[in-house]
Amino acid sequence: MPASEAFDFEREFEDVVRELRAVPSEAPPTLRERVRALGEPERRRSFRLPKISWRGAALVLVPACLLALVSAAAVHGLLSSSSSNREVAASRTTPRDQLLEHGSNSSRGAVRGAPVFAPNSTLELAPVIPTPSPVRHQDYQADLRIRVKDFDALGQKTAQAMRVTQQLGGYVSSVSQSSTSGQPGESDLVLRVPVAHVQDAMIRLSALGTVLEQHVSIVDLENVVQQQRRRIETLRLQIARLTAALEQAGLAPDVKLRLQFQLDDARRNLANVTGANKATLREAALSRISLSLTTQKPVAAKHHSGRFGNAASDALDFLAGAGAVALAALIILSPLLVIAALAYWGVRTYRRREAQRLLGTA
Amino acid sequence: MKSVNAVSTTLPGLGVARPTFASVAESELDAVHRYLLFLTGNRAVAEDLTGETFEKAFRSWRRFDPRRGTPRAWLCRIARSVALDHFRSEDRRRRREERYARDVEASEEPGLGEGVIASALHELSPAEREVVALRVLLDLDGPSTARLLGISQTACSTRLSRALKRLEERMSDARV
Repeated sequence: MPASEAFDFEREFEDVVRELRAVPSEAPPTLRERVRALGEPERRRSFRLPKISWRGAALVLVPACLLALVSAAAVHGLLSSSSSNREVAASRTTPRDQLLEHGSNSSRGAVRGAPVFAPNSTLELAPVIPTPSPVRHQDYQADLRIRVKDFDALGQKTAQAMRVTQQLGGYVSSVSQSSTSGQPGESDLVLRVPVAHVQDAMIRLSALGTVLEQHVSIVDLENVVQQQRRRIETLRLQIARLTAALEQAGLAPDVKLRLQFQLDDARRNLANVTGANKATLREAALSRISLSLTTQKPVAAKHHSGRFGNAASDALDFLAGAGAVALAALIILSPLLVIAALAYWGVRTYRRREAQRLLGTA
Repeated sequence: MKSVNAVSTTLPGLGVARPTFASVAESELDAVHRYLLFLTGNRAVAEDLTGETFEKAFRSWRRFDPRRGTPRAWLCRIARSVALDHFRSEDRRRRREERYARDVEASEEPGLGEGVIASALHELSPAEREVVALRVLLDLDGPSTARLLGISQTACSTRLSRALKRLEERMSDARV
């Protein structure tokens, strides 16, 4: 049986075809009138986009989306690289100014989370050192991590740090040094330096080597000191009154005993508050500087290949992020897509089989 | 095939001639009626379905794209959908009647006329009559017919060949 397009039924079944075409099958006049009565559909005046096939749309949209993504990545890369350049420039030009600024601002109150320098960012720069207020009591604490050249330098610089502390009227609270072969040498010192000289101390200690890290914390103690002083005055007044009361003649023994207890209690409190006040003043008078000297080599700095390299790197990061988001979306949506495809396929198959059954081909 | 471009407009910016609905309806009415007559085997039903087909085509005329096929193929697709809906509803009706009134018999109106060819056509299945109508009477080409029926071109040719052979056999049997 011929089963190709070349099947010429006209010649093979000539008689049948002729008879089939002779079967009267014209539409009756009533039907023709009914269809004619429909007329012409109203033409919509609204603008319609030309129809585009799925394949054509994919051919246009996929490159367009890719182009948009790459453009966005390029813009992101350029913007990021320029902003990072500005940050670097700012960090290179302002430490001295920041130093002055911090000095003028520190009298207003507590300063927490003072600047932290990342490794290698201060190789050629003086560190930013917030200064304590000369008119307020403040708890000044600083952590300083400095890299020195080698083991010999480690010992020398440790001794030098101790000398600097003593020269400035302070003392070394603790010191520990370790120099193990094959490992970086470490020297940890806790220095107490008068607050009045702390800025000088920080500058001189920073000059011992390369500053790797610096943390400065200033906590205002003025309120605490004032409260303690008011409490001391109150207690002194109370003691004076109690003493005067006890010296009066003719007091009942129980009253006298009660007053005596109150007096002892007030004296104890006064001693405690006075001690706390002295401790606070001592804390405010001496800053605490934790100095770490190390011979540890610097971590390999990020390779800077200029603005173009930074921009390209940022753009690639952006593209990688976009790819990750797309992958996540695909993972989340893929079950739904599979279900939708199966539903579509199922409905289509059902309708086709139903049509076959209705037309007698099943 | 009759020309349908006597009255036509051109799609803006595309240069593709688009006939008017009225001209298409005038030229394709007989073809659609013939197709539905062969598919249903019932003249009254074919008439109703033809009217329904053109009403449906009228409503969706703006969706017709002459670049994707001839008006005849587009109308036949609509006609087929309308006919399948009719067969579905008939199927449901028949089942209902079989369930509640088994003795009710459907009256079959001779739609394809009298004579050897008509009785031979009635012995074919609707699907066979359909492919005969599309290929022999409406002169649709193989690819268009296959696309319309949702089958491959090979299957379409096979179905047509089998239908014509059966017709030939029935006719020769009837004449003997």
